[in-house]
Amino acid sequence: MKMQEYNISENNFEQCIKCTVCTVYCPVVPVNPDYPGPKQAGPDGERLRLKKGIFFDQTLKYCLNCKRCEVACPSGVKIGDIIQAAKIKYGHGKPKLRDFMLASTDLMGSVATKVAPIVNTSLKIKPVKQLMDGILKIDHRRNFPEYSSRTFESWFRKNAAAAQEKFDRHVAYFHGCYANYNYPQLGKDFVKVMNALGYGVRLLDGEKCCGVALISNGMIDQATKNAKKNIRLMTEALSSCEAVLGTSSSCSFTIRDEYPHLLGVDNSAVRDRMELAVRFIYRLIESGKAKLEFRPDFKARIAYHVPCHMEKLGWGMFSARLVQMIPGVEFTMLDSNCCGIAGTYGFKKENYEVSQAIGKPLFDQIRTLDPDYVACDCETCKWQIEMSTGYKVMNPISILAAAIKE
Amino acid sequence: MSQNGNNNEFDVIIIGGGITGAGTARDCAMRGLKVLLIERHDIATGATGRNHGLLHSGARYAVTDQESARECIKENMILRKIARHCVEETDGLFITLPDDDLDYQKKFADACNSAGIKAEIIDPKEALRMEPSANPAIIGAVKVPDGSVDPFRLTSANITDAKLHGAKVMVYTELVSFIKDGDTIKGVKVHNHITGEDLDFYAPVTVNAGGIWGHGIAEKAGTTINMFPAKGALLIFGHRVNNVVLNRCRKPANADILVPGDTVCVIGTTSSRVPFDEVDDMRVTPDEVDLLLSEGALLAPALATTRILRAYAGVRPLVSADNDPSGRNISRGIVLLDHETRDGIKGFISITGGKLMTYRLMAEWAADAVCKKLGVEKECHTMDTPLPGSRSEGIEEISRKIWTNPTTTQKATAGRHGDLSSRIPSVNEFDTSLVCECEEVSTGEVKYAIDELDVHNLVDLRRRTRVGMGTCQGELCACRAAGLLAQARHCAESGKKDLGRFLNERWKGIYPVGWGDALRENEYSQWVYSGVCGLEK
Amino acid sequence: MKFDTTIIGGGLSGLVCGLRLQKAGRNCVIVSAGQNAMHFSSGYFDFLDRTPDGKAVSVLADAIESLPDCHPYSKIGKVKLTGYMEEVQPFFSGCGVRLNGNPLRNGYRITPTGNFKRTWLSLEDFVPFESEDCPWKKVLIVNIEGFLDFNTAFIAGSLEDKGVCCKTSVLRLEEMERLRRNPSEMRATNIARVLDRKEVSDKAIRQIKDMLKDEDAVILPAVFGLKNSTEKDTIEKALERKVSFVATMPPSVPGIRSQMRLKSEFEAAGGVFLQGDTACGPEMAGTRIASIGTVNFGDIRLESDSFVLASGSFFSKGLTATPDSISENVFGLDTDASDSRKDWYDTDFFNRQNYISYGVRTDDRFRCFKDGRLIENLYAVGSILGGSNPLYEGSGAGIAITSALYVADNILSAEA
Repeated sequence: MKMQEYNISENNFEQCIKCTVCTVYCPVVPVNPDYPGPKQAGPDGERLRLKKGIFFDQTLKYCLNCKRCEVACPSGVKIGDIIQAAKIKYGHGKPKLRDFMLASTDLMGSVATKVAPIVNTSLKIKPVKQLMDGILKIDHRRNFPEYSSRTFESWFRKNAAAAQEKFDRHVAYFHGCYANYNYPQLGKDFVKVMNALGYGVRLLDGEKCCGVALISNGMIDQATKNAKKNIRLMTEALSSCEAVLGTSSSCSFTIRDEYPHLLGVDNSAVRDRMELAVRFIYRLIESGKAKLEFRPDFKARIAYHVPCHMEKLGWGMFSARLVQMIPGVEFTMLDSNCCGIAGTYGFKKENYEVSQAIGKPLFDQIRTLDPDYVACDCETCKWQIEMSTGYKVMNPISILAAAIKE
Repeated sequence: MSQNGNNNEFDVIIIGGGITGAGTARDCAMRGLKVLLIERHDIATGATGRNHGLLHSGARYAVTDQESARECIKENMILRKIARHCVEETDGLFITLPDDDLDYQKKFADACNSAGIKAEIIDPKEALRMEPSANPAIIGAVKVPDGSVDPFRLTSANITDAKLHGAKVMVYTELVSFIKDGDTIKGVKVHNHITGEDLDFYAPVTVNAGGIWGHGIAEKAGTTINMFPAKGALLIFGHRVNNVVLNRCRKPANADILVPGDTVCVIGTTSSRVPFDEVDDMRVTPDEVDLLLSEGALLAPALATTRILRAYAGVRPLVSADNDPSGRNISRGIVLLDHETRDGIKGFISITGGKLMTYRLMAEWAADAVCKKLGVEKECHTMDTPLPGSRSEGIEEISRKIWTNPTTTQKATAGRHGDLSSRIPSVNEFDTSLVCECEEVSTGEVKYAIDELDVHNLVDLRRRTRVGMGTCQGELCACRAAGLLAQARHCAESGKKDLGRFLNERWKGIYPVGWGDALRENEYSQWVYSGVCGLEK
Repeated sequence: MKFDTTIIGGGLSGLVCGLRLQKAGRNCVIVSAGQNAMHFSSGYFDFLDRTPDGKAVSVLADAIESLPDCHPYSKIGKVKLTGYMEEVQPFFSGCGVRLNGNPLRNGYRITPTGNFKRTWLSLEDFVPFESEDCPWKKVLIVNIEGFLDFNTAFIAGSLEDKGVCCKTSVLRLEEMERLRRNPSEMRATNIARVLDRKEVSDKAIRQIKDMLKDEDAVILPAVFGLKNSTEKDTIEKALERKVSFVATMPPSVPGIRSQMRLKSEFEAAGGVFLQGDTACGPEMAGTRIASIGTVNFGDIRLESDSFVLASGSFFSKGLTATPDSISENVFGLDTDASDSRKDWYDTDFFNRQNYISYGVRTDDRFRCFKDGRLIENLYAVGSILGGSNPLYEGSGAGIAITSALYVADNILSAEA
């Protein structure tokens, strides 16, 4: 054995050399003094927790898991992972009903879509919001995403599935809970774009929620179960499809990076071929293997927001380049800034103020730019930005779908 | 006793502020004697602070030295009671590797049990469950009641208690010469390095508790003790790899003990003879580092890839029997010399040999001898009187009493100071703000150490609080702590000089292991202190 | 993805090189693994504080000829180097960062511990002193209450030794209370965020004004102006006194602001900055680098005509040390490091440490070698370069900036 060739402890927290750069880029630190900051919560805390579990600090729950600390870290320390792993290992107790509801996006979605008009209406009315605020501690100032009355899956089976088989090449689509229950149009847009590129789309046979919300709410067993099933489904799909594509940056990030790091689920069989649609499409077009024809009359001023998990994936470039390919687009890259929602985090009453404070610089910049709409690859960023600024937010895939020739 | 009121007259003068001197001072003071302890540096600067911090069960000595083993287990059980806040009850494993002789295991366990050490042969699988970092190739394992002990805390607690019982403790006070009247030692001439004063103190009995430096002290008294400085080098890893002490089940050899202590773990030791003129500045060589690493990785393979924080070395005060000047017949047991019977020098005792584990017993023997000389009949009570800090409940209860601190700081502080934590200022946010982020040392704790624990510089502060002992090795905290110290001393210049000395003291332990992230971290420290701050020698 | 030049490292040297090329119409990408050393800046750029044999330097050009041939400054050559020295201020101000000081002579800065240290140019919210004497007779030194990373007593102690009469004081701002609730986040950047609010900085200025008597100048920690660089002017005007910022312990507020400014300038010029990504898997074509991969981009590779290695030394992971070797991380280039770790260190922290001088071997155009063979289109800039001990000499920023300009010009002329 070669001694000390590299110093890698589990979670590599010892590569931290205490430079404190992570604390500069943490969006929570400036707005919530109760959060110890990524350095203390992550590598410093980990060392103490290895000494004794009693050093676990409940305030780690204020971490958004945005991973901006990891993007900033010059030492390559997986600070966010260390914090999430500590919450999993030491944070005990059953999740609250509220957290369970927020986290179980597919369970809640499948119930809600069946009675969507009632749910949507009641989630908007004041007494219901007050009730949710009082009992469930879901902040009353927050607008709930609307549920669709028909899931994307059922639309696809009925209206699109058959036509997809005419194509020679196929990709599998991991639509995620949002496209399925809240906004099937995104799924439809994806199918349209892929078809235009010469690809047929297939769905996984019963995909489960990727688990991002389950992980952040501490429901690790359920998340692990989902992860195992998803990896199995993807492995099967890849025997006949070129890739598994997603349209949500958080789902894709979770499947690629959180499954092995946090859940210990081996994704090596699929990781290289599971990616965001924008990256797949960019590669296709850049290598000259496919082309998109755009409408000459499509004109829009678009400001692109890179979601935190997209920043961590390092793929914002691909969305930006694709949107910039559309001739009629006037493109602005927004400054890198967390919107504050961080999945279910901002929905919780205790986090509302902090959540809005984190997003403020972004909202201000959008208002100043006054674009036609904002582009973004993440559904929870979309809710947050739409609610906080009133500007419409569209996934880059939907923008492509709107801009290509019919 | 303490019949005379003169403030330069005492019943007993103890030379040496290691654990033996501190323990002897406490024991004598508890028996009502008027005690002076002098130490030329800070407390716990010699072998006391430069070992594993292992709370020996005695198992290591069971096969070769039953007497030492018995002493160890007895003291082990006592320390668990009287020094709770300095001790961690981790248990220990003696593991047999494929290349080791498995037959030794049975002999070992039997020897332990006959010495009164509860040794249990367990299934290697069970051992790996108990300590997952142990080498998975082990073919045998014996569980013993080892633990870890923090020598700095233990010494400080003894000093604090000695002072509470009226002892006078003078650090940075060096013995210049003995005041003699014929063949009787009547006192000491000392030089105080802080005030620059030369002072005389008188007592009918003087105790030499100088560890390896006891050799020189005895020479000043006009006699010799046959001592052999034995250097032992150790490595500190950045975090705890193990939570159970790991030992090799074989005849004691190099680098066969891995001890978890506070936030780190320590592998050691090597063993080599060194000349007396080197004992004041022990440096660890590349060969020693390589040996410690390769042997250590056999105990816990993770050590091969774990970051090393620093290397250090101590000098064991080995004493040879009086009739054996060659040093081949060396005892690791306690050596108490009454120089009146041995050399005809009255009023002078040396207490040496022994080990950290048996310090209390050494102190008891020494105090007994002092009392005998003074004609005092007082019993020893150190075996059942808890030390300050260990007088009440556990960490979690203590933490709750210092609730104004953030939760991690509460626990770190309570772990370090036990029930004395309540004396640490924590009323406002200035006091609770962190100086050392790695080890969670607050401004309040630093102030407390400066005001109440004889801290004169940053290195002393480190021994009382763990400031600068974490992964950054002072990079973030040294400047903050130097500022607080300068403020307390009303002297900016001394604070800055002290900062330079502290960084050098840290560097001494870092460069022998200067690669990987330790080197990265040091490069950063260099840029901050030599570059941005422009500090020079 | 195709670019004209791929730069590995987004610190001072990488950004300067990228800006020079991008502004000359070349299409560049910077791959930056985490944030960089500008976050710990003193606020000043040092050029050459002393020669390798320890002689103090005042007129910079005079010292250049005495440097050994392997020194990056010697490779650039005195004529070109002097040109760059004079060009640095206009270049930076063209990128939105004003620099103060005399580009041809060393001035002095006050360090956080109160020392006077030779320096070259400063970021705009600092001003280098012309000599080692303090220009003021009476000074007020003010800290934020409870801020441990700035020590007024250290600074006062040094100034008093120079015969300056000093008064120290603290600002008590209730807006800091919220920050103080967090025991570890009373850091320069967090304080700066609070002071970026105009009502808070106004209040701070009023408090300082009340403390002022007949002092000629005020010394403050560099915690003003995370967003804009004109805070010093504003405070000076309001106080009607000279104001001097002194660097705090890291993180560095002016350093971060300037780095962000350079980065957005690079992006505004059309450059692509990949933050938090790591270069890996270079592919050679003969004696040239054809492409590199990145961890995030996976199979989508970065192809370029030229590559610039600006990956820094150990801290930034440009170099890695194991117990028996020192190596360059991305390409496995030849270095000038000793293989025996005994040679790496001096036992005294404050003596010259050899390991800090190690870097990659280059030709006179800073092109790198691998296994003894020249790689024609791979250049090194900044602290990954061997041949000098930037910490001992005080030459880190000077080498970073001039080597970056020199390499950019070499790339441009090679393509021309």
